[in-house]
Amino acid sequence: MGLSLSTAAAPELDLEALDIACRDRGLDGVELAAVSASDLDALDARTSMASGARIVALRAEGLSPETAPRLARASGRLGVPLSVPSEALAPSDLSDLAAVFHREGGRLLLAQGCGLEAMAALVAEIQVARVGKPWSQGGDGPLGVAWELRPSSESLEDGSAVLFIARELLGLVRLHGGGPEQHDQDGLGVGGLLADLALSRYQGTIVLTPSRPETLPRWAKWLASRRSAGCGTIAESNRVDLDVRPVEPRDRLETILGTYRSLSRGATMELTVDHDPSCMYYTLEATEAEGSFTFRKVEDGPEVWRAEVTKL
Amino acid sequence: MAKTELDIRVVPPREKHPTIFRTFDSLAPGEAFTLVNDHDPAPLRHQFEATRTGVYSWSYEESGPSVWKVRIGKNA
Repeated sequence: MGLSLSTAAAPELDLEALDIACRDRGLDGVELAAVSASDLDALDARTSMASGARIVALRAEGLSPETAPRLARASGRLGVPLSVPSEALAPSDLSDLAAVFHREGGRLLLAQGCGLEAMAALVAEIQVARVGKPWSQGGDGPLGVAWELRPSSESLEDGSAVLFIARELLGLVRLHGGGPEQHDQDGLGVGGLLADLALSRYQGTIVLTPSRPETLPRWAKWLASRRSAGCGTIAESNRVDLDVRPVEPRDRLETILGTYRSLSRGATMELTVDHDPSCMYYTLEATEAEGSFTFRKVEDGPEVWRAEVTKL
Repeated sequence: MAKTELDIRVVPPREKHPTIFRTFDSLAPGEAFTLVNDHDPAPLRHQFEATRTGVYSWSYEESGPSVWKVRIGKNA
């Protein structure tokens, strides 16, 4: 399972700059989004010069008789799938489209959200389109499913069942959110679905894409700033307020331990976090001398947790 | 057997550890999954040590600088 970013998250960045930002973030690669037919020439140019960039998927919002063969060729040449919203395609065209993608060695993924009935219908349409075709054998044919997860605007309640239906045809997961939008999606069920996805042994890519255009400035900032500063404030000499919510997760442990270790004996750190801080209790238990601190939760979620840590 | 991977980077902060423990608790003895994260999940390991003592295994497959991968197994 690899995590990648859609070019839709950074329309201003060219492919090379986006690729560098992805590498800095530990993301595996980029999904190239071609929004319209006129983008196709630009797409051709980008894919042919994209020697250094790792392209993991292509995206189009629709297919026409003119664009389908070109996108199929790009998909085959790059060895990555193309996803298209299923509602943009007529079921009666699937068989012909599959033949085009089969000929070009590409793969077409029909994108569908968390609606159970819609996914069941889509899987049935794909199975019908496969009947009697030379490529109908094997799960790696020219037609598959891309799963669109929109936790901010769509209920994920049926997600586990949708995954169960789609799992054999599933070639891509597109998460509308994640990245700088993680906090907005707290409690909306992404965690549970990711666990289901892992347990279903999904091997493909998860592409992050902005949930809506208004969030684009936050994505730009997220991609530009690899690290964020700590934000402890010393209110009184024996009391430190440390709110790590704006701190990047990877910098949090160092920030918290650093602050704790700088406390004088008898001083208290009030820690504010956006998740249950029990792991910090266990970490202090393991790393600090026995009996050298007290740890008391003073607020226990569901949005914010606070703990008072006193050095003895 | 196909590899089970859980990429925790996209999961909102307060769901991260519950998601990981849910995945671990769903494993059969002898099974394992690979946790993918953007930092060293050391605090998680301390939590495993305290709450799943003796029933888990932990081995790093990749240690930064951008991505950490840990194979977490349930002992048979």
